[in-house]
Amino acid sequence: MSQITAPYAAAPAEPIFKQELVWQWPIRLFHWLNALAFVVLFLTGLYISDPIFSPAGEAYGNQTMGYVRMTHFIAAAVFTVGFFWRICWFWLGNRYARSGFPYVWRARWWRNLVRQTWDYLRLDFGHVHMGHNALAGLAYTLVPVIGGWVMILTGLALFGQSNPDGFWDSLCGWVIPMLGGGLRTHMWHHLVAWLFLVFAIVHVYIVVLDGTQQRNGLISSMISGRKFYPADEKPGSHDED
Amino acid sequence: MADSLLSSPGLTTYDILSRHGVSRRDFLSFCAITAASLGLEAQQVPAVVEALETKPRLPVIWLHGLECTCCSESFIRSSHPIAQDVVLNMISLDYDDTLQAAAGHQVEQIRKDLIEQAKRGETEYVLAVEGNAPTKDGGVYCTVAGETFLDVLRETAEHAKFVIAWGSCACNGCVQAAAPNPTGARPVHECITGKPIVKVPGCPPIAEVMTGVLTYVLTFGRLPELDRVGRPKMFYKQRLHDKCLRRSFFDAGQFVESWDDDGARKGWCLYKMGCRGPTTYNSCATFKWNGGVSWPIGSGHGCIGCSEENFWDDGPFYSRLAKTPLPGIEATPQKVGIALTAAAGVGIAAHLAALAIKRGRAAATENKAKEA
Ligand code: HEM
Ligand code: SF4
Ligand code: SF4
Repeated sequence: MSQITAPYAAAPAEPIFKQELVWQWPIRLFHWLNALAFVVLFLTGLYISDPIFSPAGEAYGNQTMGYVRMTHFIAAAVFTVGFFWRICWFWLGNRYARSGFPYVWRARWWRNLVRQTWDYLRLDFGHVHMGHNALAGLAYTLVPVIGGWVMILTGLALFGQSNPDGFWDSLCGWVIPMLGGGLRTHMWHHLVAWLFLVFAIVHVYIVVLDGTQQRNGLISSMISGRKFYPADEKPGSHDED
Repeated sequence: MADSLLSSPGLTTYDILSRHGVSRRDFLSFCAITAASLGLEAQQVPAVVEALETKPRLPVIWLHGLECTCCSESFIRSSHPIAQDVVLNMISLDYDDTLQAAAGHQVEQIRKDLIEQAKRGETEYVLAVEGNAPTKDGGVYCTVAGETFLDVLRETAEHAKFVIAWGSCACNGCVQAAAPNPTGARPVHECITGKPIVKVPGCPPIAEVMTGVLTYVLTFGRLPELDRVGRPKMFYKQRLHDKCLRRSFFDAGQFVESWDDDGARKGWCLYKMGCRGPTTYNSCATFKWNGGVSWPIGSGHGCIGCSEENFWDDGPFYSRLAKTPLPGIEATPQKVGIALTAAAGVGIAAHLAALAIKRGRAAATENKAKEA
């Protein structure tokens, strides 16, 4: 406090920070639809798995499980469409749409991964990225992408079980014998659902932590799309491809 | 049964039936019922009648491997008054070491003769397999007449027209193949290659399903339409859950919570008691059991999924989900998930605490530096 003695200094002629559009609108749209769909899918999924409340009265007057399942399927449609939309934007989007992707054949990606992991472990927040760092990219690939495939394939296979000659079963039904039966398919669908929750918790924690420590607009960037960088650096100079 | 052994192979099913005093009327009624249960249109009934009247009966070799014989027990309890008779006589059951009266070398000779005849193209036969073959240690854990069952199975399958796999043992291993599967029991399709197989799973399969499959095969001389895993669609195209009398309670969200609660008395859905109906394809909800008397879910017990692969390993039967197959973790995915979430929480708390300590220390050294 004591340093600020003079009245507020006039804005410097040259800005100290500049901003860059990192997350284009299709990415941001996907992000929030996906977040919403996940919350709905997880909550309805838990009810499907273990229906803890049970309506009073006669069966003909109630449709609790029916509506919960329907909600799950509507959110699943949003989740699935968003998933493939995001995959398209991996190529259609700007360079940050591909940032962090596990380019395991590039030494740079591995160096970035080790460095970022080491930074988190020794509680250092000095290293700012515009896009995703390699560790984030790895986490996104493991849970929302590979896990997303698992959820979509097992989900659609289970969805198709009520009509074995129908479209969804023809498309995804092969998953069930591959996983060793319908019950095991439920088991995997359920287990990976929890991985999504663990991912979401850690994701929010790291975003809040990084965002408040680095103060580069990380948190607001998923709304505005923009992040800040020091004016004397080239944008994204710390980023991998 | 001994009768079918001794009967001349040229006879048709109808010949045999009329010899047994079955009237024309009963015969036609059987054909109509069978056609209906096979899902055939009414116009197809004459085809069934004609086939049974004119086609010589197809010889069947019925092998028994590692099994409990519940399939045979089910089969001989077919409900239609003449069904069991018809079917047992319809096929020329040339070899069935459980049902036939003959024994010993004489019986083995019948099997070998039939194989020889088929090799020479003089006859065709169908191989029906009940049970499966242990494959560990050269297959010694099941030997019949001095040969391992694995060898018998392969030898007999080689010249068969096609193979019928009876019951969950033959289709997907059942209890003897459950972990840790000490004898290396393998279902039929993993023991033989290059033969069309129709799988009729269930522990046991429903009698009407067994007779239905046999009738189809004998009537049309080919396998019925099969689904992705080789089961006849006509009997395995629907989950119990989609035809269950308790389904309205499932959709309403009304579940039995314990065996003696109010919901149990009111006939609510057995989902939370571990019912496997939502993942089980079988005809129990259609044909029921014991001639349509009742079936497990009708009697207030959940389905245990006896016609699905791995049903023994995917226990416990009274828990909603299979336990995770992760090594050393005998828990449902829900428990594993809660543990993982808690671990993430602990990790975050530890990271935050470490951060606070680091910041505190940094501030302290700064203060000291200022004081000095
Ligand atoms: C991250 C996304 C998702 C999450 C977190 C999620 C979560 C869950 C959970 C926890 C269950 C209960 C599983 C059980 O105990 O049997 C479930 C069931 C189910 N989910 Fe999902 N799910 C997701 C995506 C999907 C998708 C994309 C589909 C595609 C249609 C889908 C279709 C189903 C179906 C059909 C069931 C079984 C419903 C039933 O048995 O009545 N899910 N889901
Ligand atoms: S009792 Fe079983 S098969 Fe019937 S509706 Fe309930 S869960 Fe489905
Ligand atoms: S209700 Fe289920 S466990 Fe019982 S016989 Fe039918 S398929 Fe098998």
